[in-house]
Amino acid sequence: MESLLQHLDRFSELLAVSRTAHVRTWDPVTVRRALQWARYLRHIHRRFGRHGPIRTALERRLHNQWRQEGGFGRGPVPGLANFQALGHGDVLLSLRLLENQALGDAARHHLVQQLFPGPGVPDADEETLQESLARLARCGSAVHMLRFNGYRKNLNLQEDSLMKTQAELLLERLQEVGKAEAEGPSRFLSRLWERLPQNNFLKVIAVALLQPPLSPRPQEESEPSIHKTPGEGSQALVHWLLGNSEVFAAFCRALPAGLLTLVTSRHPALSPVYLGLLTDWGQRLHYDLQKGIWVGTESQDVPWEELHNRFQSLCQAPPPLKDKVLTALETCKAQDGDFEVPGLSIWTDLLLALRSGAFRKRQVLGLSPGLSSV
Amino acid sequence: MAQDSVDLSCDYQFWMQKLSVWDQASTLETQQDTCVHLARFQEFLRKMYEALKEMDSNTIFERFPTIDQLLAKACWNPFILAYDESQKILIWCLCCLINKEPQNSRQSKLNSWVQGVLSHILSALRFDKEVALFTQGLGYAPIDYYPGLLKNVTKRVNGNISRLASLSRVCVPLITLPDVDPLVEALLVCHGHEPQEILQPEFFEAVNEAILLKKISLPMSAVVCLWLRHLPSLEKAMLHLFEKLISSERNCLRRIECFIKDSLLPQAACHPAIFRVVDEMFRCALLETDGAPEIIATIQVFTQCFLEALEKENKQLRFALKTYFPYTSPSLAMVLLQDPQDVPRGRWLQTLKHISELLREAVEDQTHGSRGGPLESWFLFIRFGGWAEMVAEQLLRSAAEPPAALLWLLAFYYSPRDGRQQRAQTMVQVKAVLGHLLAMSRSSSLSAWDLQTAAGQDTDTDPRAPAQQLIRHLLLHFVLWAPGGHTIARDVVTLLAHTAEITHEIIGFLDQTLYRWDRLGIESPRSGKLARELLKELRTQV
Repeated sequence: MESLLQHLDRFSELLAVSRTAHVRTWDPVTVRRALQWARYLRHIHRRFGRHGPIRTALERRLHNQWRQEGGFGRGPVPGLANFQALGHGDVLLSLRLLENQALGDAARHHLVQQLFPGPGVPDADEETLQESLARLARCGSAVHMLRFNGYRKNLNLQEDSLMKTQAELLLERLQEVGKAEAEGPSRFLSRLWERLPQNNFLKVIAVALLQPPLSPRPQEESEPSIHKTPGEGSQALVHWLLGNSEVFAAFCRALPAGLLTLVTSRHPALSPVYLGLLTDWGQRLHYDLQKGIWVGTESQDVPWEELHNRFQSLCQAPPPLKDKVLTALETCKAQDGDFEVPGLSIWTDLLLALRSGAFRKRQVLGLSPGLSSV
Repeated sequence: MAQDSVDLSCDYQFWMQKLSVWDQASTLETQQDTCVHLARFQEFLRKMYEALKEMDSNTIFERFPTIDQLLAKACWNPFILAYDESQKILIWCLCCLINKEPQNSRQSKLNSWVQGVLSHILSALRFDKEVALFTQGLGYAPIDYYPGLLKNVTKRVNGNISRLASLSRVCVPLITLPDVDPLVEALLVCHGHEPQEILQPEFFEAVNEAILLKKISLPMSAVVCLWLRHLPSLEKAMLHLFEKLISSERNCLRRIECFIKDSLLPQAACHPAIFRVVDEMFRCALLETDGAPEIIATIQVFTQCFLEALEKENKQLRFALKTYFPYTSPSLAMVLLQDPQDVPRGRWLQTLKHISELLREAVEDQTHGSRGGPLESWFLFIRFGGWAEMVAEQLLRSAAEPPAALLWLLAFYYSPRDGRQQRAQTMVQVKAVLGHLLAMSRSSSLSAWDLQTAAGQDTDTDPRAPAQQLIRHLLLHFVLWAPGGHTIARDVVTLLAHTAEITHEIIGFLDQTLYRWDRLGIESPRSGKLARELLKELRTQV
């Protein structure tokens, strides 16, 4: 067992080194040995992938490594990211070496020969490295063609396949990090927030929060011992968002109203904070008598239209969210003086606008114009 | 070798031009043209690789100065990269260009360039920087997540698609990629709102090809949709079956049954529209070969497989018999469709008489403009080998006067085109032979010569005449069944089989008889053993 763990360590190091300029010193023999290593570990993965205790031990080893590095996600992951990666460690290694400019001519030539030996007897047992690489290329092209030629541009973020995939990856990683260290997910997310493009990150979080409970990945379908608690990753995300007000503010600002409504419906813990934000934004606006509209004082203030949009979207959500929103609006209106006349309290005006919007909607739909609940 | 080389140069020019026109295959026309040529281009690449691997980098450039352009253009066409093994062969060709020990800057630059192209091919999952940073930041490489991504992309087809046509076109190179199976299936079964077909014909052809070569496995419902929507595919599937049957060993019904079941056609034929097309093609084959026994046997096996499939399918689809056999009286169809296994043995004779009556009625009915005439009825009857092949046996085994109905049926089976008089004559002939055989079956010693004379088998008469074939089969039935038959069996066969053609016919007869006995479980050990031995001996002779 110990030797197995050492193999794992060493291969993780190998992977890390394969990206660096250190490969300058590698000769063809080193390259061949490195590939053999990778192939050996691939066998290990196949043999022990289903073996609960061994797999757990290997995973724990990796988690320890992360802890030593100061937590997962401190920088671009150098070595092995998780146990599954062992299953295609040879592909990872090959691609890193191929792209590494520092690799010498002789070593590179040898590498290419090893990777693409040409037509030969296919291995009945498992896919050869050459087949894996060809398949990767083929699938890449497939994704490219299907996305750009086959489908209409999708307006719904949560249905975009690339967004969904990123969301799935995030949830998966959160789950693993959660297993490695208790505080893990929150710190991990904070680190990501600092390092990654934030706009994309926020979108991915939203889509992740809308995913159904995580099902096992295709490679893991045969491993029932791994129990995925539904929503573990989602819970970590919600917890983190609630603990980081500036992130949450950016979250609410950046994403479209409809998406936020869906997220808040799904995760009720977020609704009070969301509503709180909306009320804060609302209070920053004042009524411009000349123009007859509500305006902000500073350029970054949320304009009336956007505020109205969001409330409108929330009012179309199913109860209890819808009711919560209306109650909050009524309360604010009361606190402001309970005016019925427009132009005095933004809350009055919002309610008026929402009601008339709903009224118009009912007319269009052919419903009776009686007393509506709004 | 020199000719190959010239061919390669010609091909090279052709493909270079094509690739230039196709560019990145971003328009409808270039995509369609690319799809049509994918298989041939791959063959060309293979030939190129065989040539290139024998040369070093410098020689390659002397021979094909623009090879780098050719390969690069191919690599930038996503359809080519996505097709079958093309990406692999392209990589092999590129590797041939690498200089092991670059001696000048030009060669070094070439190596770098090859490097770049290889990277391009392998890092085909190219996305915006943000996404790449995100996934890397989480510690994932494309190899980790491409199955999940492909699954998400293909899942979307169940949503709103307004571009089915282009989607089907884009799928053409991807048909043999297992991850794309759900998408292919969804495309095949989706119902558009247009009356005309929206999916591209290249798509149907590619899927059909993959099905025939067993490179894809789709549920039966999808295959049926394919064949219903695209008639040429169904026809191709039938032709493919015929080719297999022709090129395989003659006269082995077990193998034929395997091929037929394998082809998925019997299950598909549960849908009447498909059944009718298949039926028509069998009919043509029969007419073209003038009723060759092998075709008849194939049709019988097919019908049997079809009925088995229909039995299973009947829970879901229920089509009236009339949709399958529109020109047949319902009563006749129902009798014929009975499996002999389901009818008590004692009633077999009765059933055959009933069949004979109904058929005779249909055949001799010329007043109401009977459709197709006797041939139509014959074509119906021959399908049901269980009954058709039983007539002779039943005649031999009844010690009483042979029923006229069965005589008629036998004569009709072997020559449907005879006029009334001719048929009556045949019936008389057969009756006489049966009488002789009955007498001989009671005698203790039999001789092959006696048998042949009794049967009136002269070498003068045309051996191919249907009546002759009928009588031959009667004699063989007799030899297999009669108590003393095994002693003269080989002599009889030797006497009968004086041409290669007839030998084949006898082999076919024996194979078919054994197959039928096996199915119905009516074999007597002695007869079966005899038949098997004869079959084995005859097979070694041809």
